[in-house]
Amino acid sequence: MKSSDILIVTGAGGVGKTTLSAAIAVATAEQGARTLVITVDPARRLADALGITMLDRATNRPSRVPDAPLLDAVMLDVTASWEAITARHAKPEVADRLLESPYFRAVADRFPAAQSYAAGEQVAEFAMSGDWDVVVVDTPPAAGGIDFFMAPRKMRELVGGRLLRWLTGARVPGRNLIYRTTARPMLRLADILLGSALLEELADFLIDVRSLYDGLSSRALAIDRLMSQATVLVVTTDAPGPMREAGRFFSALPEIDVSPAALIFNRALPDSWITARGPMGNTALDEALRANMELWSSEARRNRDARVAMAARLEVPMAAVPWLRRPLSDVAGLANLVSSAADLSDIVHR
Amino acid sequence: MLERKLVIVSGKGGVGKSAIAVALALRAQRAGKRVLVSAMSDGVGTAIHLGADHLSYKPTTFYGDIHAMEVDRAYALEEYLKVQLRVPQAAPTKTFSKAMQVLVDTAPGIREVISMGKPIFDTWQGHYDLVVVDAPPIGQLMSYLRAPAVVANVVPTGAIKDQSGRMAAMLRDPEQTALVLVTTPEELPALETKQALDELESERLINLGVLIANRVLPPLDITPHQIEALPDRPATAAAAHHTSLLALQDASLDSLPIDVRLPYLFGVHTPAEVSAQLADEWEDAL
Repeated sequence: MKSSDILIVTGAGGVGKTTLSAAIAVATAEQGARTLVITVDPARRLADALGITMLDRATNRPSRVPDAPLLDAVMLDVTASWEAITARHAKPEVADRLLESPYFRAVADRFPAAQSYAAGEQVAEFAMSGDWDVVVVDTPPAAGGIDFFMAPRKMRELVGGRLLRWLTGARVPGRNLIYRTTARPMLRLADILLGSALLEELADFLIDVRSLYDGLSSRALAIDRLMSQATVLVVTTDAPGPMREAGRFFSALPEIDVSPAALIFNRALPDSWITARGPMGNTALDEALRANMELWSSEARRNRDARVAMAARLEVPMAAVPWLRRPLSDVAGLANLVSSAADLSDIVHR
Repeated sequence: MLERKLVIVSGKGGVGKSAIAVALALRAQRAGKRVLVSAMSDGVGTAIHLGADHLSYKPTTFYGDIHAMEVDRAYALEEYLKVQLRVPQAAPTKTFSKAMQVLVDTAPGIREVISMGKPIFDTWQGHYDLVVVDAPPIGQLMSYLRAPAVVANVVPTGAIKDQSGRMAAMLRDPEQTALVLVTTPEELPALETKQALDELESERLINLGVLIANRVLPPLDITPHQIEALPDRPATAAAAHHTSLLALQDASLDSLPIDVRLPYLFGVHTPAEVSAQLADEWEDAL
């Protein structure tokens, strides 16, 4: 079975990734491709537009988007993904123990690599199901950018690597072994910090985690291969934080086997505003228009300077998406967003 | 605000937390105080507002009496073991400290208590009049604030348990500690702020000092009706753009008890300029 084309939308939080992912998915579905959009935390109105209800959350089950015959949407739930991963890779009794462990949720929720890995594994599962031609992925904010692509590798290193071996003994040993080796200075320290009861529980937990290694490791390699064939779109705005994040992503590219297709510059202002002036008249309206134009023309200049600076630094195609006056709330609006941004529409239809 | 010992600045990602944390530090410095800015998430984000390109664990001095540092987790753990637990030689090898980090990360609450502990210990040591924390986004910050209670539950005997109790008391004390919550006049940040206010109100882990609306657009005395009648020109489009953003702004700020409104800074390029200007505007707003 042929796996789907994967389109990954990445970038800093608050730049409009979720809306853009939805818009791109609507556009590919309209072109006749069976499309799935995987979203992370959509705003209420966008979730409504995609037909994602509260009931669908925490199930990782895609549902059909109203008004879009070929488009499905799913909201990713990391905890549910980890439960599935554990059930898939661990022996039943170990899986039960892990899922009941108070540390399991904490780890799944807090390690950025664990979050990204869960997202990656879920994406791989959808992509390999053969149910969709295109899978559009909105990456989780906590694990955006490069982390998303490093996660399979990091997970493999963490679970199978020297570190856990060192902590839990050479082979998966009898339970509680870790605590009998308190002679090690590290464990003495950990003992002072955490107390022996907690340390013992943690050790048991980590020993169980290690047993996931074989399954997780081969799966991680498959995800890695899939990701390296994906099309990556990096989103930024003119704010310094998101631009830095986008720059970081591009400079880390040699480390991962991924080539980005394009940089999407969201909330672009028209260049024509830079030199525009308001009307010359003396009415109150003319004066208000003039003063307002002056403000926005200085803002449009800053916006253009930011775009030029990014384009000079990065050698990828750049698509400017205009700053919308209203948040998008329906499928028609989403479709419109792509067709109104010529560069973006080129990239999506390629 | 400036009379407190510890001020924590947070809000949804992308609303200008770092700009405002540095603006607050500038105000304190102008009032003759010795300030430490403690960056808990991305040190670079804080640094650029001070005109630098990065921060280290060891504080760097800016503008005479503003000191700024990045709370690196590994260093924070090492210092915690050495200074707080009086462990003689911490973290001798790389594997050792990495392994320690895994244990600390796996036990719920411990990592948060150690990171949050750093600015709090800096407050206790008394080298600074004010410690300003450029905190993680509000959702994450809540788990930092809840961490001391979590630790008290999961750690039956460890030394970290006693310290978390003291930390929680410091965070709750309105005389010493305040939260500056930042939002922008947009739908999602406002929604998240509303949720955060409810959680803060019910959990009472810290006192809200100031709720700031950042990047507030100035009013524009042109009606949509007038705009419709105008010729198709950039000035008309800019006015239409501005009035629709204003409508979103009013709708999103409507239900929030905003204390201070800081303006959208049109055309201001560098982050350091942004913070300096916000400090002026903040003073004017009081």
